[in-house]
Amino acid sequence: MKRRSNLLTIGMLALLVYFLLPLFWLVVASTKSTGDLFSSFGLWFTADFHLFQNIGQVFTYGDGVYGRWLLNTLFYSVVSAGGAAFLCALGGYGFAKFRFRGNSTLFGVVLAAVMVPTTALAIPTYLLFSKIDLVNTPWAIILPSLVSPFGLYLMRIYAQDAIDDSMIEAGRIDGASEMGIFFKIVLRSLAPGIVTVLLFTLVATWNNYFLPLIMLNDPELYPITVGLAAWSSQTAGGGGSTGDLLALVVTGSMLSIVPLIAAFLLLQRYWQSGLSAGGVKG
Amino acid sequence: MKRFKAAAVVLVLALAACSGGGDDETTKAAPASQADIDKAMQTPTELTFWTWVPDIQKEVDMFTAKYPAIKVKVVNAGQGEPQYTKLRTALKAGTGAPDAVQIEFQYIPTFSLTKSLVDLRPYGAEAQKDKFVDWTWSQVSGANGEIWAYPQDTGPMGMLYRQDLFDKYGIEVPKTWEEFAAAARKLHTADPKVYLTNLASNQNGAYMGMLWQAGAKPFATTGPESVTVNLNDEVAKKVGDYWGGLIKEGVVSADPDFTDPWYQALNRGKYATWLTAAWGPVFLTGSAKSTSGKWRAAPLPQWTAGENKAGNWGGSTTAVVTGTKNPVAAAKFAEFLNTDPAVTKRFATEQFLFPATKALLADQSFTGLKPEFYGGQTVNQVFSDISGTVDTQFQWPPFLDQAVNDWDETVGKSFADKSDTGAALDQWQQRVSDYAKNQGFKVGQ
Repeated sequence: MKRRSNLLTIGMLALLVYFLLPLFWLVVASTKSTGDLFSSFGLWFTADFHLFQNIGQVFTYGDGVYGRWLLNTLFYSVVSAGGAAFLCALGGYGFAKFRFRGNSTLFGVVLAAVMVPTTALAIPTYLLFSKIDLVNTPWAIILPSLVSPFGLYLMRIYAQDAIDDSMIEAGRIDGASEMGIFFKIVLRSLAPGIVTVLLFTLVATWNNYFLPLIMLNDPELYPITVGLAAWSSQTAGGGGSTGDLLALVVTGSMLSIVPLIAAFLLLQRYWQSGLSAGGVKG
Repeated sequence: MKRFKAAAVVLVLALAACSGGGDDETTKAAPASQADIDKAMQTPTELTFWTWVPDIQKEVDMFTAKYPAIKVKVVNAGQGEPQYTKLRTALKAGTGAPDAVQIEFQYIPTFSLTKSLVDLRPYGAEAQKDKFVDWTWSQVSGANGEIWAYPQDTGPMGMLYRQDLFDKYGIEVPKTWEEFAAAARKLHTADPKVYLTNLASNQNGAYMGMLWQAGAKPFATTGPESVTVNLNDEVAKKVGDYWGGLIKEGVVSADPDFTDPWYQALNRGKYATWLTAAWGPVFLTGSAKSTSGKWRAAPLPQWTAGENKAGNWGGSTTAVVTGTKNPVAAAKFAEFLNTDPAVTKRFATEQFLFPATKALLADQSFTGLKPEFYGGQTVNQVFSDISGTVDTQFQWPPFLDQAVNDWDETVGKSFADKSDTGAALDQWQQRVSDYAKNQGFKVGQ
């Protein structure tokens, strides 16, 4: 039996348009020259298709610093996401399957940490890092991003359901070490959950703005968020700024989300099963 | 980004709050002798310079060509606020701060209060005074005669207007704010889609420029820990009520500036004027290409007919940061960058920085340019003349972030909502004075 609510459908469509419209604007705007950008209708293309010139300029302006930013972002996010997912898997598994003193207290601390916005920690982290000379290095971005309380929480919930206690016991009886069990048996079963955490952290690091803004002074180390913001503020306001960079900011923003979309599409299957599996028993 | 900005402001204020006090009173250091200076300039040194001026390496190279012993590392640490955030964190941490830094006029008291800037008098700054336009020098001077920075670029305010729209609707270039208001009504009645101007509800800088022109004295530092705050006195109310009134009436718009709709509006002729600074003409040329040839420049309308007064919006300086190991070299670098005729000329012609030096503002090869975008008008000459009329008495508060934040939430908001600007001014006054008192300032009026 099929029942459809027209009202709901319309509501959903409206939401869809609402969410996609900015993206559509971005795509359309990145095909325009600076002149057309603000003198033509924002939500449709103009006759002068400027996308490839824009892309070319994005990658050549300032000695090709944009490409450098893209690689930096990729490096920071992949290393952070991989590291964070691995640590979360280890920790989540430990919390879920081992009984030790202070287990629930420590987990409570983790839950509390979920509530602390990372932006609030940026300046204390800077002060700490400057004492050990890690400021203005890639470590300043990667180390704080390795910590993901929410990922740990997710992995604990996931590990509880996904790993059968009897599997671990079987491993122990066969004489496998605890590490061996983790790497050979547990890790495989946790894969969907790991991908979920991986994507979460990937997105978080990819979009991170405040931490790199504070930590990095060298444009060669900037991720894309800080770099684009620098370009953007260079276009607006005084001090000899011109509007020439505007088209580059728009095109650069468009290009910066392409890898994320690709990552989501490629890992979609795992992502979905990971989320739902975690949600069954909370 | 707005979100981050708010968070950043809070953090910054928290930092500023805990970094005050404890230090000794500033005493005027003994002047460096010529021998000391010569020695410092011949000793191999590396300076770090934070600036957001694009392609500034060329100007910096002119310095290192003259002083080959000194190497300068140019770092673009972001424009304006992002850079200040970094500078504060680095100063707080005690490492990572640059030797010299680009800093906007309005932030000088904020940074000199926290003793983050080096007084340049011992390094011969006083001798440079006459090279700079008077008001720019008073902007970089402290309450006890300290000289905190060298002016680099400026933004004296004028009016860019659409000649074609003025002709079409039979509007004369308004000479007084009264004429301006009448023209605003006339224009908007003739075509409800067009506004005589837009006063952006998110742009404290332009509004402060308006106060400046009217002769308001919103802030003054009267001692090491005492300030005056006058945000709702007679002059301030005159300016606030004038703009609040026109916006409420609906004949002047209050769209946020430097946003997509605002650029669109400039290109499509929604605004017949842009009340802007001397950097505005070049900016407009790049971002409103489709309107080329239609714009002209004029001074701002006046509060009293026949007067000739202006305010300033934007512009920046080069300062030397406390804690530098090479204050002599850094001070001489800042001096050279902003006084050497060839360097300042290059800033004006390559980076389109509007000059702060008297020599350049009188230089025919600069003022005589006739850009096509302005129908061949000598726009630089117009703003050059305006620069000489900027009031020298205007001062900024030592807690600028807070004052601007409070403006956004009171006066700016009243423009956006078309609500009571008079009440908003009282609120602004209240909030800023309360904040200053909480920070331990003696607040007067």
